[in-house]
Amino acid sequence: MSAHGVTRRLAQADVSIPSTSSWSKLPLIGGGLAAAGAAGSAAFGLADHGQLFFSYLVAFLFFVSIAIGGLFFVLVNHLSRAGWGVVVRRLAENLMGTLPLFLLLFVPIAFGLHDLYHWAHHEAVAGDPVLAGKAVYLNPTFFLIRGFAFLVLWSAAGLWFLRTSVAQDSSGEPCLTRRMQMASAPMTLLFAVTVTLAAFDWIMSLEPHWFSTVFGVYFFSGCVVAVYATMILLVLALDRSRLLGNAVSIEHVHDLGKMLFAFVAFWAYIAFSQFMLIWYANLPEETIWYSQRWDNSWRGISIFLAVGHFIVPFFFLLSRAIKRNRTLLACGAAWMLFIHLVDVHWLVMPTHHREGFHFSLMDPAAILFVGGLFLVVLGLGLKKQALVPLKDPRLSESLAFENF
Amino acid sequence: MAQAVALDLDPIEARPQLIAGEQSFNAITEAVALPVEWKPPLGWWIALALSSSLLGLFGISIAYLFWEGTGIWGLNNPIFWAFDITNFVFWVGIGHAGTLISAILFLFRQKWRTSINRAAEAMTIFAVMCALSFPGIHVGRPWLPYYMFPIPNQMGMWPQFRSPLIWDFFAVSIYGTVSLLFWYVGLIPDLATIRDRAKTRVRQLAYGFFALGWRGSNRHWQNYERAYLILAGLATPLVLSVHSVVSFDFATAQLPGWHTTIFPPYFVAGAIFSGFAMVMTLMLICRVVFGLRHIIQPLHLDRMAKIMLLTGTIVGYAYGTEFFIAWYGQNDYELFAFVNRATGPYAWAYWTMVGCNVLSPQVFWFKKARTCIPLLFVISIFINIGMWFERFVIITTSLHRDFLPSSWDYFRPTFWDLSTFVGSFGLFLTMFCLFVRFLPMVAMAEVKAILPIANPHHHAPAKTH
Repeated sequence: MSAHGVTRRLAQADVSIPSTSSWSKLPLIGGGLAAAGAAGSAAFGLADHGQLFFSYLVAFLFFVSIAIGGLFFVLVNHLSRAGWGVVVRRLAENLMGTLPLFLLLFVPIAFGLHDLYHWAHHEAVAGDPVLAGKAVYLNPTFFLIRGFAFLVLWSAAGLWFLRTSVAQDSSGEPCLTRRMQMASAPMTLLFAVTVTLAAFDWIMSLEPHWFSTVFGVYFFSGCVVAVYATMILLVLALDRSRLLGNAVSIEHVHDLGKMLFAFVAFWAYIAFSQFMLIWYANLPEETIWYSQRWDNSWRGISIFLAVGHFIVPFFFLLSRAIKRNRTLLACGAAWMLFIHLVDVHWLVMPTHHREGFHFSLMDPAAILFVGGLFLVVLGLGLKKQALVPLKDPRLSESLAFENF
Repeated sequence: MAQAVALDLDPIEARPQLIAGEQSFNAITEAVALPVEWKPPLGWWIALALSSSLLGLFGISIAYLFWEGTGIWGLNNPIFWAFDITNFVFWVGIGHAGTLISAILFLFRQKWRTSINRAAEAMTIFAVMCALSFPGIHVGRPWLPYYMFPIPNQMGMWPQFRSPLIWDFFAVSIYGTVSLLFWYVGLIPDLATIRDRAKTRVRQLAYGFFALGWRGSNRHWQNYERAYLILAGLATPLVLSVHSVVSFDFATAQLPGWHTTIFPPYFVAGAIFSGFAMVMTLMLICRVVFGLRHIIQPLHLDRMAKIMLLTGTIVGYAYGTEFFIAWYGQNDYELFAFVNRATGPYAWAYWTMVGCNVLSPQVFWFKKARTCIPLLFVISIFINIGMWFERFVIITTSLHRDFLPSSWDYFRPTFWDLSTFVGSFGLFLTMFCLFVRFLPMVAMAEVKAILPIANPHHHAPAKTH
């Protein structure tokens, strides 16, 4: 393994996707899925565009949360000068490299404002002093400006970090690492503010009267859970195809598992805090959001979320043996990704289906569409450069990393 | 060995040696054991005399409180809670840095923590002692606090388990217990070192008793490491839970300014922030007074300053979010509570808080500021002040103008409010003075384990899956 890995160097060919690999067909596969999703959405969606837009919003938020999480992973690794994570950082960089796609995918939301957001109706705002009061902030123009501004900022940051890191693959300049470390601190600050406002805008304002100060942190914790789960799946799958040239060992996988576990607990902490405080104070203007998710068949999903997003994975991922078992950890990560989708669905859909949980064929169609495009961009990115930062100054430290 | 050293060197910043000076086990032992074994200098006696005078003031204040009742404080009709609970939250918060350093930074493999973790953990325990004294005295009736304990009794009376105040009592007690255990487990090998060096029978017996027969055998170390890891794992959720439960005391209420969902993580960040400021203040003094400059180096201070910048900015984020949502929610009472904070009679306290907590740590964006010792000292004092004011602002400004304008009032602290608060520093500092005199204030065994000569000499690890 890595006993004397200090002097080991990685060759580009060992950690790249060859054109013969089925991984090089990922963009093609993604394109196929997206086409199927688009066809499905068109087939079911023309009759019910309300459902179409809500399903689309769920899919958009689910995949953008993975990309946002990727940005967070990269920022934190530079901010903390982490050594262990270098060998898996390129995968996070590729995940955040998909952010520009979401600039494009945000356009349909602009067309769906009327269907999605109650505050986008002039007549509703006019007759409602609360909505009229916040119309300075919650109005279609400013909402779209903010949304695009956040996505432009994240995309620019994501592309800059990705390009700088890739440039280092050939030059090996340590000053590039120093530059990325410098940039990571102010970017983290901007990241915190923009992700919070995006969560308020895109999700919280679906119920325009409702508010919760911790909501931004809740959305953020979901993003981080999603990215660690995705990273684990990517690392294990690429390693299985022997595309990581033994750069990634079970030690790195174990650490990713630990972080997933930590953020499963963090998510539960935030979710519980929000729920408990609202339940305890019992103010109607706040409880309405939870009663919408409890007093009808959404209750089943709420319970499922608490059990599936916290209780089960907490005990499952607690074990060191499981985090060091590739098959079991992959199962855990896949489950977390699925339950994160349920979480996003649970955040968004009760606004549209007030009477209770409702499954629509447009839900999977939208997931296929957005997910397919996500895979296209991700696949193209993975193919374009080495899967491991080849000349990162901390690469040898990362290669030699062991849990004691 | 050259290879093993290379592992620890950062190719960019040449990952620095965490300990300066002579890199031998003996040098560490000598440096750390000195303050435990010397004849304390005059300065220590002066510090102890001042601290214990303050402790005496604390005792007098509490005695008078018990004699006379809470009327000696400046409380009035809407403001039933002021300094007492402010001090409680302040002290609980101070403790958090110790647990973060000893548990969370341990799990994150931050080896630099070993230079400061012992003193920070001691500080945690003393801070929890100060904190717990306030719920005990704040009703001014010493015959009542036993109601906080769930004691079976013939009246069938139990605490109100649905009240966050009782959760708080449990949370802080558990926190105190686990912190004490964690601290003590870490102390055992060092106590044995002091025992082995003892020149008098009394010292041998006293340190020997608490060293629990530690001989430093391989099995001892194995059990020790495992116990340490388990305690770190248990203490990590406690760092989050304790101050979250403290925040529930306020956030479960319906009072504007108290009831907001961001309180738990916001309180935790604030607690770590204030705790680091206190560690910084104390360590800046100790490293000079006790000749530990080579163990607590500028690089340790630099990293602590970074954490202060991070947590201070999180606190600023929370202030901003609260203000934004107070407007966004379009609830008149909520918005009034916040505008009143910033522009009402307590605006001076609010802007003291914002200035000290959010603005002052922003200088730590610059490395020059993070390694400038006088500046670090000044800012750490600012943060201590600011974090006390944060709790005062949250508690008092939310209470002083409630829903009925006819009952609005203004809280002015009396002499006894101030003396109780200042006196609690006496308890804290007296304990700390005794600690630096009788116990090794740096975790010797752990510091030795991060010296280059202690680096593992590699042999192939066992095959896993």
